[in-house]
Amino acid sequence: MRLFLRAFVAALLSAAAIAGTARAAGDVLVLNSGDATLSIVDISQLREVARIPVLREPHHWALAPDGRTLLVGDTGGNALFVLNPDSFAVLRRVPCADPYQLGFSPDGKFLVVNGLARNQVDVYDAATLRLVHRFPLASMPSHLAFSPDGGRVFVSLQGARRLAAIDLGRMQVLWQAEVGRAPAGVLWLGGRVLVALMGEDDFAVLDPADGRIERRVVTGKGTHQLYLSPDQRTLWVNARLSNITVALDAGSFAVRRRYAVPGGPDDIAFAPDGRLWITERFARAVAVLDPASGAVQSVDVGRSPHGLFLNAHAVPASVARAD
Amino acid sequence: MSPTLPFDLAAGWVQQHAVLPLLYRAGLMQWEEVGFGWALFAVYGAAQVAVTYAVCLPLERCRPVERWPDRRAVGVDVLYTLIARVGLLPLITFVLFYQVQVALTGWLTDHGIIPPTLEGVFPFLLGRPVPTFLLYVVILDFAEYWRHRLSHRLDTLYALHAVHHAQRQMTFWSDDRNHLLEEVAGFLWFAAVGLAIGIPPMQFPLLVLLLRLIESLSHANARLSFGRLGERLIVSPRFHRAHHGMTAAGQRSANYGAVLPWWDMLFGTADFSRTYARTGDPTAEEALATGSYAAQQWAGLRRMLRTLAAGHS
Repeated sequence: MRLFLRAFVAALLSAAAIAGTARAAGDVLVLNSGDATLSIVDISQLREVARIPVLREPHHWALAPDGRTLLVGDTGGNALFVLNPDSFAVLRRVPCADPYQLGFSPDGKFLVVNGLARNQVDVYDAATLRLVHRFPLASMPSHLAFSPDGGRVFVSLQGARRLAAIDLGRMQVLWQAEVGRAPAGVLWLGGRVLVALMGEDDFAVLDPADGRIERRVVTGKGTHQLYLSPDQRTLWVNARLSNITVALDAGSFAVRRRYAVPGGPDDIAFAPDGRLWITERFARAVAVLDPASGAVQSVDVGRSPHGLFLNAHAVPASVARAD
Repeated sequence: MSPTLPFDLAAGWVQQHAVLPLLYRAGLMQWEEVGFGWALFAVYGAAQVAVTYAVCLPLERCRPVERWPDRRAVGVDVLYTLIARVGLLPLITFVLFYQVQVALTGWLTDHGIIPPTLEGVFPFLLGRPVPTFLLYVVILDFAEYWRHRLSHRLDTLYALHAVHHAQRQMTFWSDDRNHLLEEVAGFLWFAAVGLAIGIPPMQFPLLVLLLRLIESLSHANARLSFGRLGERLIVSPRFHRAHHGMTAAGQRSANYGAVLPWWDMLFGTADFSRTYARTGDPTAEEALATGSYAAQQWAGLRRMLRTLAAGHS
């Protein structure tokens, strides 16, 4: 078995060798959950330049606290693929049960992995990737967000209409609160926890102390993901059914503008030039949205693209040329 | 352009315009990813039915083995096909297989065991989907040979399988004419093999559909042989007709292979005689042959219960 494993990793490495050289303009890594591959998209050319095979179903990623490795969770493959975050070369593979969304706590102590299909939230030691604690949480733990001090993690329970708060110091569930149908993306913002409700048309704003809902903000049908812009002024929200990306004031939650983004918009990555890269789950594409003009360009990738990650080389001028 | 792009885009359209709105209204949006899996395989299933129709219908018109003045019995087989390939089969195969695979492989991983995959055993397959897919086909076909042979060998299983063999107007629609319990048992068997070799959930229904595309052709009411060599490479309508012959029903049958005749050749059950037999099962009650969908299902279940009550295997 050890021999097979070595050969397997060697095959992975050779397959990834094509992706081993990052282009100067920067690349976007797209996790194609429907065909077990990772696409590398050249930002300057706005086209896919390489594919990396993984095992089964890559959905989300997490950048290590030191920024030196990028973990890609392969749910059906029960594995974490460890990549070089610049070149996207595959370094190694770590067994891990059902890694859906994952994230390192801001204090760098823990890696939290949601097992959506197995109804579990696993807490790993960030340095050793040793399992520290498992929380059986029904049902369908999907997305997560940490408090800024890393002491708490908030997990949406998609099948239970709830949000759960976990104390990572005492390793216990603090509370579970009913939030609405099919909660998905979670975000910590301004001392509050925001949770997108995919089965409704809004997101809920909760008090992190007790899970009390303070207000609801309407965005669009199938509200799915929430992201804070790098300048922290704009809250970006994707609505899966309405096929829109909504820009809101990050302080007041007033809607500034709605953008039409086709294909069931999902995850977002922010390019240095201000454009947003958004996965179109049902269109085999990534949308590149210019917030100023509202123009959307689509880049073909693999089936059911989900998470996406921009490496450190993104150069705005190159993107401008591609226009 | 990827050859799967049109199917993926069509599935995306179905997902966004039919599946998601339904799930949203029903308060079931947590299943939206599973919904996309179903949409994908329903699209592939519909395309497969269309391809089967386009290929087999001209063959049956130009080179029929039998001509029937009344084709009402064929109508029920069309219903079987649509249920199996567009509706039920994609849903069951994807949803159940996915859930079982996740539960099992996650449990194995927790216990320090790397779940088996073909790419794990043969690393050169990684990133080579076509040979990997073909190897899956060979393995699943081998498993199907033994399941099929067993369904003839054991009276209890044949009581259900008789639904398939009772058809006297065998056409390319007849492949899916199976009792629901047999479909489920067949799925469980396929799923067990699929789990053992680590077939990706998204590929599993595609494999089943590919196997069934060839199986549809082999059921066609067409005088079609693939020649001396071809018949030994892939199952032809003539080869499979020998399996459905009136005198070959039940335990005395031959040619159990679904896609590849290799297993029949290897295990001594191949019959390459050049005849085109009339099809049907003389032991089957009339409801199994010409009854409605519900009547056939009920008759098959009754026959199985009677067999069990009589203490047969």
